Amino acid sequence: MATPTIQLTVPGTLRYRNIAVRVVAEAARLVSGSGQRDPNDLLDNDVRDPFDTAVVSAFMEIFNNVAIHAYRRSGGGLIDISITPGERELTIEIKDHGEAFDIGDVVPLPTELDEATLPEGGMGIHIAKTMLDEVTYEPGPPNLWRLTKRLPANQVASGRS
Amino acid sequence: MAAPFEVTNNGTETKLVVRGSLDINTAPALAEEIDKIIAAKPAKVLCDLSGLDLIDSSGVAALVKLYKGVRGAGSAITISGARDQPLAIFKLLRMDKVFNL
Repeated sequence: MATPTIQLTVPGTLRYRNIAVRVVAEAARLVSGSGQRDPNDLLDNDVRDPFDTAVVSAFMEIFNNVAIHAYRRSGGGLIDISITPGERELTIEIKDHGEAFDIGDVVPLPTELDEATLPEGGMGIHIAKTMLDEVTYEPGPPNLWRLTKRLPANQVASGRS
Repeated sequence: MAAPFEVTNNGTETKLVVRGSLDINTAPALAEEIDKIIAAKPAKVLCDLSGLDLIDSSGVAALVKLYKGVRGAGSAITISGARDQPLAIFKLLRMDKVFNL
């Protein structure tokens, strides 16, 4: 059977961000096998597995980027999200029809970090790129972010059927 | 939605407890509270992140603002309790060493 793809379309505003994040978190669990939440855990969000952490952290930053840079000035639009959970990797495509983002404008973080150089911005794309195996951006329309995270070789896949 | 933070003051130190998700939707309210904390010039600030389960770069920026503001005023700050996804983010950004997490 072909690998199924989960499709989600949400308004491109921060109000709908958490809905998308929760869907992505569940898709990450399908791949990582981190699976069942602890019903006694009262935390709102259960993101502990390193694979889930990487996927969710990166996705949150890219969603923020789209909502702010693509749509905030242009008055809004839709974000189309396609999530493909494979046996050992997760691919997420995020499309928007707003203003294109210049990924070349992203400033690297300081190499030496101390109290004086602690950054107060510009961390989002750095987080996404560092957490994932692949992050690509194609300016559109539609603009397309493609995010890929693979399970490390020593991590047992979920055995998803 | 309830604010994911709580501030208490016992006269000598201010305690900030952050819970749930500190992100682009919730960080602006915390940043306003941080302005008040810094303006009050407390001798010591304790920031408890043990109830924080998700953070993004906006949340990190708010905590950096707190850290810089308190230290810049010559006061002491202790940030503790970070775990799971938030701790992974602080480590990735190499802030765990600066914050002594």
